[in-house]
Amino acid sequence: MLISRRAVLGGGAAAGIAAGLLPMPGLSHLAFAAGGADRGLLLIVHIRGGWDGLNFISPASDPDFMAARVAELRVLDDGPTPGVALPNGPDPKIDFRLHPAAKPLAELYQDSHLAFIHAAGLTNATRSHFVAMDMLDRGIADNGAVASTPTGWLTRYLKVTGARGGAAATSVSGSVAGEFAGWPSALAVPSLDGGFGPPGGPQATQVLRRLYGAAPGDIGAGGRDALAAMAEIDGKLPRDAQQKPIAYQPDHDVNYDPAADFGRPLKTVAQLMKMDLGLEVATVDVGGWDTHENQAGRFQDRVGRLANGLAAFWNDTSRYHDRMTVVVLSEFGRRLRSNKSGGTDHGRGGVMAVLGGQVAGGRFYGNWPGLAPDRLDEGVDLAVTTDYRRVLTEVLERHSPDRPPTGVFGSYTYPGPLGIIRRAA
Amino acid sequence: MAATPPPDAHPAQRAIDPATAFMVLSRVGYGPRPGDVEALMRQGYPAWLEAQLKAPVADVPEVRERLAALRLHIRYGANPAWPALDEMRPLAYLDKPIDTVWAVADGGAPMDGQERRRPMLEVSVATVLRAVYSPWGLRETMTQFWHDHFNVDAYSASQIAAALPSYDREVIRPNALGNFRTFLEAVATSAAMQFYLSNRTSRAGAANENYARELFELHTLGRDAYLNDKYDRWRQVPGALKGQPVGYIDQDVYEAARAFTGWTVADGAGIDGHTKLPRTGQFAYVDVWHDGYQKRVLATEFDAFQPARADGRKVLDLLAAHPATARFVVTKLVRRYVSDEPPERLVAAASAVWLAHRQAPDQIAQVMRVILTSPEFLASRGAKLRRPLALVAGFVRATGQEFTPNETLVNEIANAGQRLFGYPTPNGMPDDRALLITTNGMRRRWTLVLAVAENAWGTGAFDAAKVMPATQGGPVPTAQAAAAQWLARTQGFADTAMVEALVGGLGWPADQPLTPPGHPDLNKRLARIAAFAAMAPGFQSC
Repeated sequence: MLISRRAVLGGGAAAGIAAGLLPMPGLSHLAFAAGGADRGLLLIVHIRGGWDGLNFISPASDPDFMAARVAELRVLDDGPTPGVALPNGPDPKIDFRLHPAAKPLAELYQDSHLAFIHAAGLTNATRSHFVAMDMLDRGIADNGAVASTPTGWLTRYLKVTGARGGAAATSVSGSVAGEFAGWPSALAVPSLDGGFGPPGGPQATQVLRRLYGAAPGDIGAGGRDALAAMAEIDGKLPRDAQQKPIAYQPDHDVNYDPAADFGRPLKTVAQLMKMDLGLEVATVDVGGWDTHENQAGRFQDRVGRLANGLAAFWNDTSRYHDRMTVVVLSEFGRRLRSNKSGGTDHGRGGVMAVLGGQVAGGRFYGNWPGLAPDRLDEGVDLAVTTDYRRVLTEVLERHSPDRPPTGVFGSYTYPGPLGIIRRAA
Repeated sequence: MAATPPPDAHPAQRAIDPATAFMVLSRVGYGPRPGDVEALMRQGYPAWLEAQLKAPVADVPEVRERLAALRLHIRYGANPAWPALDEMRPLAYLDKPIDTVWAVADGGAPMDGQERRRPMLEVSVATVLRAVYSPWGLRETMTQFWHDHFNVDAYSASQIAAALPSYDREVIRPNALGNFRTFLEAVATSAAMQFYLSNRTSRAGAANENYARELFELHTLGRDAYLNDKYDRWRQVPGALKGQPVGYIDQDVYEAARAFTGWTVADGAGIDGHTKLPRTGQFAYVDVWHDGYQKRVLATEFDAFQPARADGRKVLDLLAAHPATARFVVTKLVRRYVSDEPPERLVAAASAVWLAHRQAPDQIAQVMRVILTSPEFLASRGAKLRRPLALVAGFVRATGQEFTPNETLVNEIANAGQRLFGYPTPNGMPDDRALLITTNGMRRRWTLVLAVAENAWGTGAFDAAKVMPATQGGPVPTAQAAAAQWLARTQGFADTAMVEALVGGLGWPADQPLTPPGHPDLNKRLARIAAFAAMAPGFQSC
């Protein structure tokens, strides 16, 4: 099911072309204003492909777990590369271990900045990437409501809380995340390396401004928004004497390189934050987690990138910690039993992670359902005991205490905060 | 649009107007070259379309010659195992059988990564070249449609990169207008798909579900037929007890995964202590890896221990014949060729043809005939966004400039949102304009056209004397005249407001010759005006 960021305004993209989407031709959706800093920054990290939460944080001593999976797809509590023991796990009888490649995250956990929610996710019985992501984007858990829910949950949050526009909502990616569906001014900025201006110099800019000035539909609006955003963002990039953009220098000499393809977008998020463009909500993707075969090596590599990236981002943004929250989530966890390809198939319950200066970290939230056969979802998977929206609601409340984000998740009944976010003293 | 009843006279039989002809050429193929609109109108749309539907699979001589003349840069540094290299090299893999290409997938053979990616690069560049120079636009756009539908990410593994020439040549292209059931088995037995969805390593005992799941959800029945959140058991699915379930649940996926165990690729894997598969990249079936016991898929019983590959074939039979498959695939075709909001009447009509002709060798061509002669299609001008490949190809075809695609261009098309043969998830590049109309997307789209016009990436020079014969020897055009001419060439007509907008931004006098006669800047100025015409809103869709 495809949804458009722009079409919801005019009842369909094709209709929009004919009718002229914008009530005021010539104006961009974008109105840039510095600020938004007081509202803080919310960063959503999508783990794309189905994140094997059980291989990321294993119930290492659980005999049901050990019986179901080959050792290569478990975090072990002994041997040459044991996992990091995490105190304050969700079940005191079980030794929960973090993947050894995630050591940088263990430090953030020990420093109480990072919290985990295990057995979290989507309560709907889907094992489809695309159905699950569509529900996650919309903040729903009902496949039947996908078609009738044209907006993303971040769009509804931005509407409720009255975001200022401009670069408030940015996907650090080639395209805009589904959570921003129905938010026409959401930006897609994959990188600022080499600048972010329009091609062709001042003449091309003049021509494009005129060509798109009154152009109808999503293309006209998209062109105007792109020109406005490029002017604003490119204009704020620091430049050398020859007017060339100066390469971004992270604070504290932080090195994003160990995070490879995940480091680049995170570095760009940090860069955008520090440019004072009014960034309030950002999304990044990290792919490669659909590990149906040869999982052990791939997963270790991906976990290393994830952990190194988040740690680098945290260290680079120390000035912002008290008003910044990072939420890590995926469309589903993976099958408890490994397959004969040395991988795992699509499953259900997974892990969520919340990182931030106001996070009461160093512990898990939510209940551990166990992995005994009668505790499994449909007899095969870790059950979901914490609806992903419970975690998101608590985080959103922290980011907009003055205008509570009620209604963002529609008919979802919020059972109240888990306590992930520390209360103001 | 869905509510519009079809008019009495068959619209495709009526004379076609130039604006519709322009749309047809831009949508069915990659856009009109100078003279194409007039030629289509002379030939008549029905005859033109019949020729497109029966287009040969083989490249026309011009494409063959251009592919043979093409040289692609390859450059890498020295390594203890290989010397440094810096050369322009002809294409080597496009017509080679997979066992020849497979050498680049051998992880044990030392070579630079660029050598491993080379087969993929060759197919990518050939795809751009064919989009520009093939007269059989429908076969080219259908080829891309099916590459999206049966997506593999050739960037994700060197085996998939090595398999890509044969996947494109033997699986996708010959079946693009053929029979879906035949097509499905060609895909299922391709090394590209076997690797990409990891069925290659699936074994009896705990089958790998990856291929089976995406076969159901993405290749055939579609997500609307996935009913796992409604029914726990196969018997509960409506129609199941009559052997005709309306959809599927996870139990069907699990069983189908068992049916495909043993379908693999000859990649050198050991079968037992004594026997190994050869390393040819060809399809192989290994019976000892197959789960032979009885199965039930889509409420149909499979007896135990059927002949080799019979289980998998039976799954493909059930899926190809299912009405949900007709609706799912036809809806995608209508979305691609007609409208982002597929009209229900047309989907129903084309689905009926799909099902009625499911044994026909030209089943897909028959469906396309229904779609492309429908009143909905003929009235859909401007309804579809040009994707980045279509943007580049459409611009080059409109100008008629000399053009040679290269790796930089392929990468820039990817930066604009269309990484050919490299969409990272198995659904393939979605046909969703919102993913392309973004800050980044618009910036990259404008860059694509301007850089090609200005030859910034070495794809060929814009030669005004060749592409605008009127300027040769004649008076130098004014900015106004050049803008009007290029807007008409790229969009089929020149809207006066757009001409004024373009000219107004140039900063050059509108009614003066662009340069003195014979001035060296004339070509540059004309190239820029041509590019601006194609950067305009009217060229973004067709």
